Amino acid sequence: MAVRTEPHPAYQGKVVSWLTTTDHKRIGILYICTSLLFFVLAGLMGLVIRLQLMQANGDVVDPQRYNELVTIHGTSMVFLVGVPILAGFGNYLVPLMIGAHDMAFPRLNALSYWLFAFGGAVLMLSFFAQGGAAQAGWTSYPPLAEQTAGHGQDLWILSLHILTASSIAGAINFLVTIHNLRARGMTWTRMPLFVWSIYVYAWLLLAVLPVLSAAITMILLDRGLELGGWEIQTSFFDPAEGGNAVLYQHAFWFFGHPEVYIIVLPAFGIISEVLPVFARKPIFGYKAIAFSTVAIGFFSMLVWAHHMFTVGLPISLQAYFMIASMVIAVPTGMKIFNWLATLWRGNLAFDSAMLFALGFLSIFVVGGLTGIYLAAFPIDWQLHDSYFVVAHFHYTLFGGVVFAIFAGLHYWWPKMFGRMLDERLGKLSFWLLFVGFNLTFFPQHLLGLEGMPRRIATYANESWEGYNTLSTVGSWVMGVAILAFVVNVLVSRNGPRVGNDPWRAYTLEWYTTSPPPPHNFDDVPYVTSPRPLYDLRRRLREREGARGAA
Amino acid sequence: MRALLSLAGLVSLVLVAAPAALAQGSFAPVEPASPNAEGIRSSYLFVSIFILAIFVLVEGALIAFILKYRRRRRARFADGAQIHGQTRLEILWTTLPVVVLFLIAAFVFIELPGIKNVPEAGASGELEIRVTGRQYYWQYEYPNGVIAIDRMRAPVGVPVRLTVSAPDSDVIHSWWIPALGGKIDAIPGRVNETWFEADRTGVFEGQCAELCGVGHAFMTASVEVLPEAEFAAWLEERRQAQTTGDVALGEETWEGVCAKCHGLAGQGALYRAVAGSAVLRDPQAVETLVRNGRRTMPAVGAGWTAEQIDALNAYLKESPPGGS
Repeated sequence: MAVRTEPHPAYQGKVVSWLTTTDHKRIGILYICTSLLFFVLAGLMGLVIRLQLMQANGDVVDPQRYNELVTIHGTSMVFLVGVPILAGFGNYLVPLMIGAHDMAFPRLNALSYWLFAFGGAVLMLSFFAQGGAAQAGWTSYPPLAEQTAGHGQDLWILSLHILTASSIAGAINFLVTIHNLRARGMTWTRMPLFVWSIYVYAWLLLAVLPVLSAAITMILLDRGLELGGWEIQTSFFDPAEGGNAVLYQHAFWFFGHPEVYIIVLPAFGIISEVLPVFARKPIFGYKAIAFSTVAIGFFSMLVWAHHMFTVGLPISLQAYFMIASMVIAVPTGMKIFNWLATLWRGNLAFDSAMLFALGFLSIFVVGGLTGIYLAAFPIDWQLHDSYFVVAHFHYTLFGGVVFAIFAGLHYWWPKMFGRMLDERLGKLSFWLLFVGFNLTFFPQHLLGLEGMPRRIATYANESWEGYNTLSTVGSWVMGVAILAFVVNVLVSRNGPRVGNDPWRAYTLEWYTTSPPPPHNFDDVPYVTSPRPLYDLRRRLREREGARGAA
Repeated sequence: MRALLSLAGLVSLVLVAAPAALAQGSFAPVEPASPNAEGIRSSYLFVSIFILAIFVLVEGALIAFILKYRRRRRARFADGAQIHGQTRLEILWTTLPVVVLFLIAAFVFIELPGIKNVPEAGASGELEIRVTGRQYYWQYEYPNGVIAIDRMRAPVGVPVRLTVSAPDSDVIHSWWIPALGGKIDAIPGRVNETWFEADRTGVFEGQCAELCGVGHAFMTASVEVLPEAEFAAWLEERRQAQTTGDVALGEETWEGVCAKCHGLAGQGALYRAVAGSAVLRDPQAVETLVRNGRRTMPAVGAGWTAEQIDALNAYLKESPPGGS
């Protein structure tokens, strides 16, 4: 049980109480707001990238600045948006969903948040460092990452080290919380699927982040540093001194591929919560979905070299990594079919949260399917590092994760703030985002097939101009969609108030008030299935029915 | 049931029409000009059959369910059918993808030898070219010592083996001419191999596919495929010229190595202007500069032969950038 005492009077001011909070709900909201801020910043970088590529020989920014933007856009979207915003949802929801009063370690939780905020600040401010921000891409392959002058790359490494520490602390906190603080009756197979996804997310973070830390530390040492008169200069990745540049890629992708699932699995978890509520059905195949989450997490650690099919690995290894990557498609397919079956014979209501969830389904399928081309290694020799890959991972990470996050924001907003978001604005931002997204990223498949490599600051080939212009126009439509969401948030301050459970949902967070009190629950019902509130309502109906009959 | 049947009909229609439709227009890799690119393209089209079928199946079901099970006049919170799952369905949609993936993997392995293995050489033998990726140019070395930059010449109908690498002091690049096959990375300290056998003459364009620094976007490559006799003549002409200060190689060097950063007329591009600089008029200074680099300029000419340096100087003397 978490210990809770009244905060010291000095810490009760409106701002100070947020800065010093150890309440998981406030920390969750801080995580989500900070991540959304980084989402806007990194999104603006994306808009500049699109502006630069709108026409052939574009010169909105110079090539060095372009490489900085590409690097920080990618790094931020993964480390400052994807991982932490889901940590935010996890923080807010896991204790509520399992009927706990807080996370297991509230102060460690606050530390995780503040490390994340400072790590993010380091990355964003690195634009002002000597020599500009890091320029070697979010993957930062050596030798390039070791040869770029200035401090941008060093700050990139520092920032990732801080963020890693934040995530490790957060992951341990989630695991201890989920293991120990579940309500009475909540066995593993009665746990909400979102909690399952955060559980696997946390194990994956623990398993793979140390490998990333090791890899980027080796880059730091290879770049050379001076510590109190000691000069350290290693050559892990420098072939001139007997190092191996490909070694880094193995280490990076051993982390990097699971990282994709670290972000995608909790997004899946959000979808598994939203669909049943708006279909008025239980999730189809609860155990299959929970099992596939674990299976995806496990297999994601065995497929890393499918990002390295062009480095000249032996064919036998490439064949193994192709087959292992294809194996992941099976549990992913299971999820998609189970979600579809959840809609079957439902009573579907199309509120904004549901629209975003359905949009997620339709887009994520495309991202999953194009992954099969890339897993087939000879086809990847043609498509690797082309715009086809850029399109593929935006279909999974933007179309998948961002749509799921918006589904989650629209769904849980009334719980977090006690007021509804506006439905008309919500639907407007959904349709703009859906159309803008496909307009931006679908043509990029075709650019890749035509031979346009990713990460080029400009191009002379005018036959690529048409698709690029379409893509840029699409990015503006997405910009307007995000603007509509921001307006919605501002307007919602005067939105209609809601009770405990505006959606008649199924999980425990809707049992308490909106927003919940600091201690979450006065009492928690005994959990009899994955849908404790559905069971409660049914029992209530039965009792009323019995009384009526009598 | 009728809905299911029509969905199945739609899926089979896609199965038949898909590859033909994709092969038109830009929904497949570029028109191949070499057997390995051809093999990759047919693998792509084969995979597309399944991908499109699954796409139509899933999106079709999604749209059908959205239309069929929307609320209409039902109460907002009325229960849908309380179905928790079905084991037989779970087994079905776990095993079906396994079968599809097995077929795809099998097809890939059938096509693989034609993509990976260099074909048997015909009467005119085969050609081996060393490809070196450097910031920000491609250097080619032919067996007789001829050096070329950025534009490779190759004979039609002859298997061309490429050994692809990068100097130890450089960064990773990636060799990619889409019409002539997949890409292969040029990695310092490692030698990779690939090949092509062009089936027609013409110029095939490509560019570096691995982020290699500020000049990445400008690191273009092209392969000019010539009739065999024409290629042989070109190779011989270049070999002889190279012994006497090859102006053609010098021009390629200026355009490929120097001009990407300093501008074709030395007017400055990614980096400073050099037109009219005294260094360009002093062969010794040019050699020192390109061999060692200076400040932000990398040693672009480290490892060059004396002939290559001479060629650059000969070109600079004949047509100094930006006029004399």
